[in-house]
Amino acid sequence: MKLSFKINNKSKYLELFPNETLLNVLRQNDFTEVKCGCNEGECGSCTVLLDGKPVNSCQVLAMSVQEKEITTVKGIGTLYTPHLLQKSFVEAGADQCGFCSPGMVLASYSLLKENPKPTREEILTALDGNLCRCTGYVKIVDAVEITAQKLLTNNLEME
Amino acid sequence: MLHQNLEWFFPHKVEEAVKLIEQQGVILHGGGTRILKTSPKSIRGLVDIGNLNLNYIHHADNHFSIGSATTYADVIRYSKKTCKLSMLADALSEAASTPLRNRITIGGSLKDFPIWSSLYAPLLALNAQIEIADKHDKVISLEEYLESGVIKTKHLIKRIIVVDDPHLIGGVKRFALIRFEYPLFTVAVALRAKKKVISEARVYITGVKGRHKHCKRAEHFLLEKELTDDIIQQAEKHFAPKFVSDYKYSAEYKEHTAKVFFSDLLHELKGTLK
Repeated sequence: MKLSFKINNKSKYLELFPNETLLNVLRQNDFTEVKCGCNEGECGSCTVLLDGKPVNSCQVLAMSVQEKEITTVKGIGTLYTPHLLQKSFVEAGADQCGFCSPGMVLASYSLLKENPKPTREEILTALDGNLCRCTGYVKIVDAVEITAQKLLTNNLEME
Repeated sequence: MLHQNLEWFFPHKVEEAVKLIEQQGVILHGGGTRILKTSPKSIRGLVDIGNLNLNYIHHADNHFSIGSATTYADVIRYSKKTCKLSMLADALSEAASTPLRNRITIGGSLKDFPIWSSLYAPLLALNAQIEIADKHDKVISLEEYLESGVIKTKHLIKRIIVVDDPHLIGGVKRFALIRFEYPLFTVAVALRAKKKVISEARVYITGVKGRHKHCKRAEHFLLEKELTDDIIQQAEKHFAPKFVSDYKYSAEYKEHTAKVFFSDLLHELKGTLK
């Protein structure tokens, strides 16, 4: 069947079976920026935002989110027009293999949108569902702090 | 793996949802995390509760009403904003992970009651009530919900009701080796005191043999006493939950750890009793 979804501020018709997870449906319809890691809701590489909140798309049945706004990492910034947060990830050296990065960026984005001045502890809690096997997390947390600092210094709001 | 021809229903009324789940193989869908974990092939239909307006937290007449479609994250956010429901929010903050807490619903966790549940012990200690809809709507205590077997029947949970009691203090402790791991057990204690003397105690543990235990002996012992180091040491002897050994831990080890956690909780509460 084909159903309409709201993805990255656009309406899209996606092909799906009623038993499929949002992760499968997105990837099969070319949203390959959503990564498939553990498929059990533990690694966070498949994170997308549902109405602005991070969820594991492998733990969401696609049929249940037709009314919701879905955001993938390409919805906040692209290779040519990266978001401030994505630039901070590069600046801090928070990307290594890059597999966890879409999930990390989206989880951080959601946190900063809700709380532009998070403590290090709050950053750790917000990222507790995202695993990284390369960086040791320090640089990722640094990237979130750098973004928060830039928002504060330049009197910007998270967009 | 869920059936490929799974049928979805999106009712707008609770009564419609209740009627739908009377059919064989049709169950409720809240956040869906548990359904995906178990993925039974026998499920042929899912009734989504997203349009039933069950995602809310209301406060009126000294009671909190928490709709069953409310997520763990919503409860935590509400608690941060209002400084209320902190015992429940503390327990839920440690469950699963941020993205999963944005999906796991209160109703789904109550209906399924997985052995690792972080939700039951604090709610039982808070003497929560539950409103369910089946053929007739009814409000019963959570303890009755478990012990009378209602949990095993087909029904829809509408809301949880918790008394807003500023004189009740409490705490929760869960045993997990790492934060993300399912806890082995969860201990919850709620106390009320008059001039530092305990007038009411509620002690519960989940993850034990039979899933949960109301620790009446420990409660009885604590009554009419002040929490001193000596009393806490004695109380530990009256707290004897029974566990089942598994491939990782013996029952004795779990019992010993639970006693330590219970005693730690009492020590933490000692300083806050008025």
